[in-house]
Amino acid sequence: MKQRKNSFANFVTSHPWPIIVIFVAVTVAAAFQLRHIELDTEMKNQLPVDLPTRKNLTQIEKLFGGTDMIMIVLSADDILDIDVIHRLKEMSKKFEHIKEFDRVITLFTAKHISAECGELVVEQAIRRIPKSEKQKETLRHDLKENELVYGNIVSKDFKHTVLIGFLATDASDEKVVGQLEQLIKQTKGPGDALIGGMPVTRVKLSKDIRKDMSRFLPVGLVLMFIFLLLCFREARGVLMPFIMTVMAIVFALGLLAFLGWKIHTVTVLLPVILLAVANDYGIHIMARYQEERAENKELDSKQLAHATVQHLNQPILASGITTMVGLLCLLSHIIIPAEQLGILAAAGVAFAMVGSLVFIPAVLAVLPKSKSKKKKEKKIQDVATLMSRLLNFIGDVASKKSRGILIISGVLLVAFATGAAFIVVDSNPMSFYKKNDPVWRATHMLNEHFGGWANVSIVAKGDIKDPAVMKEIDKLERHLKKHPLVGTTSSIAAMVRGMNRVMNDNAASADKVPDKRDLIAQYFLLYSLSGDIEDFNKLVDFNYRNAQILAQVRDSGTRAATDVVHYTQAYIDAHPQAPFTIVGGLLDVITNMVDYIVRGQLLSLFLSILLCGVLVGAVMRSVVAGLISMIPLGIAVSILFGLMGYWGIELNLITAMLSSIMIGVGIDYTIHFLWRYREERRLAEPMDAVKITLRSAGRGILFNGFSVVVGFVVLLLSQFFPVQFFGLLVVVSIVSCLIGALVVLPAVVIVFKPKFLEPTESGNSTEELPGAA
Amino acid sequence: MRVGRYLFSNMLVLGVIVGLVISAGMNADAGATLTAKEIMENAALSRKLDGSEAVMKLIIQNGKGEKRERKIAMVTKLFDNGKTEKRVYRFLSPADVKGTGVLAFDYENKGDDMWIYLPALRKTRRIVTSERSKAFMGSEFSYADMNTPTLTDYTFRTLKEEAVDGVSCWLIEVKPKNEDVAEDEGYSKKKIWIAKEEYTIRKALYFDLEGELLKELKSKNIECLDELKKRYRSKYMEMTNKQNGRKSIFKIEKIENIPNTKDLYFTTEYLERP
Repeated sequence: MKQRKNSFANFVTSHPWPIIVIFVAVTVAAAFQLRHIELDTEMKNQLPVDLPTRKNLTQIEKLFGGTDMIMIVLSADDILDIDVIHRLKEMSKKFEHIKEFDRVITLFTAKHISAECGELVVEQAIRRIPKSEKQKETLRHDLKENELVYGNIVSKDFKHTVLIGFLATDASDEKVVGQLEQLIKQTKGPGDALIGGMPVTRVKLSKDIRKDMSRFLPVGLVLMFIFLLLCFREARGVLMPFIMTVMAIVFALGLLAFLGWKIHTVTVLLPVILLAVANDYGIHIMARYQEERAENKELDSKQLAHATVQHLNQPILASGITTMVGLLCLLSHIIIPAEQLGILAAAGVAFAMVGSLVFIPAVLAVLPKSKSKKKKEKKIQDVATLMSRLLNFIGDVASKKSRGILIISGVLLVAFATGAAFIVVDSNPMSFYKKNDPVWRATHMLNEHFGGWANVSIVAKGDIKDPAVMKEIDKLERHLKKHPLVGTTSSIAAMVRGMNRVMNDNAASADKVPDKRDLIAQYFLLYSLSGDIEDFNKLVDFNYRNAQILAQVRDSGTRAATDVVHYTQAYIDAHPQAPFTIVGGLLDVITNMVDYIVRGQLLSLFLSILLCGVLVGAVMRSVVAGLISMIPLGIAVSILFGLMGYWGIELNLITAMLSSIMIGVGIDYTIHFLWRYREERRLAEPMDAVKITLRSAGRGILFNGFSVVVGFVVLLLSQFFPVQFFGLLVVVSIVSCLIGALVVLPAVVIVFKPKFLEPTESGNSTEELPGAA
Repeated sequence: MRVGRYLFSNMLVLGVIVGLVISAGMNADAGATLTAKEIMENAALSRKLDGSEAVMKLIIQNGKGEKRERKIAMVTKLFDNGKTEKRVYRFLSPADVKGTGVLAFDYENKGDDMWIYLPALRKTRRIVTSERSKAFMGSEFSYADMNTPTLTDYTFRTLKEEAVDGVSCWLIEVKPKNEDVAEDEGYSKKKIWIAKEEYTIRKALYFDLEGELLKELKSKNIECLDELKKRYRSKYMEMTNKQNGRKSIFKIEKIENIPNTKDLYFTTEYLERP
């Protein structure tokens, strides 16, 4: 073993140039791939095809085309003011011409159907733009009477109106949103126009995340750099880990392009995870290098590099591989980008790990040995000495009050774990926005003043013209209206009911589905002659074999959508004779997917903790080692989820995915501590060994942890909640991993003196304490 | 509003051809030998019948190739020296709409009248509608296609001479004079091929407001119904939507030139007869 270790270190330090050339070449090659990187933030492209809700969606879209709605909400003191209505007309005209829509509903496309003395009158809801106050009030009266319009496309206080477009199934979210923004710019006039609905929320969310990340991360990088400089106080100490991290990020992104993948919203996390994890290995190498240089003044560059690699290649390999395995647990996700994120993050870690063991020592071997700066160090009270003091303090406390630490952390752990019980699994995209944000306001208006922001769709199969089938559709639609979160509903049954009433001179008794099939068929023919049969294209298919009920949901959270779907499903289960075959839609798929991701992430988190335990156990050849290695991660998970529970931060797509960072850093910190402790324990008593370990390996751990914390604290300055959460959660994750590895773990090894850490008989076991036996 | 004008005035075969022909005929450039106007006038004349009885099929096909088929009997007659055209339609199939009748009066100078009779309801209702909707009975033939446009709203140009299916034709371009007209009709431009010999329409292309090709009309099986007056009708018209793949076909199974069709046909009482 020792022999091999040496030969590895020998190899690295004796062939520095080829190694440097190879690493630089690979990085440059990866950098060249970067220009092929494509962005794909279309959420629809990320849905797994074999998800049951997705299959439902495909079925629905095959029958009725897209059901995903995007809206413009126009608000003014009075929508019927001449200037406002002129603008609305212009907007409506342009809106209708957008090719990505396969159905459009506005005040200017809406109809008014009425019956007067044996006549059927079908006309535009707005026949002409009012020119006088009197005409305006007449129009207001007409619109109030028009149940197709009132409360559905014009708010009951006439302060808001909505233009609704149903996206064609192949439409691009970003393209449509761009067109609508253009449209609003082009149609100048009074009133305030906002874009709302699911598609714009998707676009805004992914854009805002990218925008704020690219604004704040560079600042974070600079801060990280400065912090490391203060820690190491020499250029190479900072540059080596820093360059290695950047190389790892370039490599991972280059690999992404090379594999022909695209950057999705979730992939944004890749650089974040690598920033937090990948500099770890380089920092440990540099910390050890400085340590060796201070202790062994006679060694030259090459020998120093050799000694560093010799000591660290095992712990770095062990921590790197466990981290990779932990990250690869992301493969258990059902969404493709999460799987890709796992692979790419693991590849980046692999690159950083190998680079830190090979590339950095090779460079160090080539560089002239830098002068010791001892004199300076003694004079200046800087970060590094603060760190050392902190570590000394922790070492003292951990060794003297180890039992107390365990008890306190046990109590705190229970308290945090209790908080985790309050965690809410809900991805409400609106919770990411402030209340004055246009997206928030638009969604709020759609939910408050109109039928709701998105659709749940229910498909009925059978002879739709059959009164029995039609009546079942009618019943379910009425049942849906009773749900507090359901706003507007639309169905072919409601249209037939309306026609029946109108053809029977508005008799209230005729407001029902007629009993004769022929009459229903003739109503359809009538509508195709007097109205526009296209009005039905979302409600019934070409051959009248399938019909669709659309129920708009008035709450943007995933829980609301799930609730409506379950409510409907319960009705269908209770009415097995009813002709309904599918409940679903895009809202359902996204809801379902988000929940899958969140739950999947929890699963992959626990899976990776377990796997890491197994791996560490295997490497250290001890079950206890495995169990102990899980402690810091367990603590970190409890703290993170506990705080989220107490602070009311929902477990959603982003917060769940972020927990991957903990796997990376948590494992690394643990392994570096345990490895060094076992080494030091051969030479000293447990208490002293802990102190020495904290001063040496603890330094690297703390440098790494704090540098990441410093870098991510900047994100708290973002105005955008998800990015703030990014910052907050990364900081919480890392601090809790630090506490786990540097405070609790030392106390554990002192109190329990696990056998695998104690010197073996072949080693120096004379100092073994009686209590440890 | 003008019900009949939009709905039935120039419905079916009549409609499409009259619309195109008259719109092209009124305001023409000077052509080489014949002006676009003269060509169009001749074309308009070539299809004028005092009275007719026909049985036709409307076949509507969606992008997936699914079909909906309706069989309709139609009777037309000119009144008031040709100023008013009255029409009666009776649906023959499918069974669930059999017997449904429509009576339409297309006046020259005022809003049109339309009545519809639903046999399952046993009621006739006068229908008042301003709906100048896109699709006629859900077909690719729009009301705008069948409508007689305000002729001064367009400019016409003979582009060239070109053969369609071996028949030599004039190719005439029709453009709306302003945006409102274009918006109203839904086209930025039309191209119409008219046979030199008979002045019958053989083909037409419709371009949407963005200038992209939207629909193509093909007209076949042209039959001479009145040898003396040189009057023709197309018995097969196919409109294909080039953007979504949908297609609609009017197929005339039987048509007769009957100048003295009974006036009794054009009453609501007749409509309600079984």
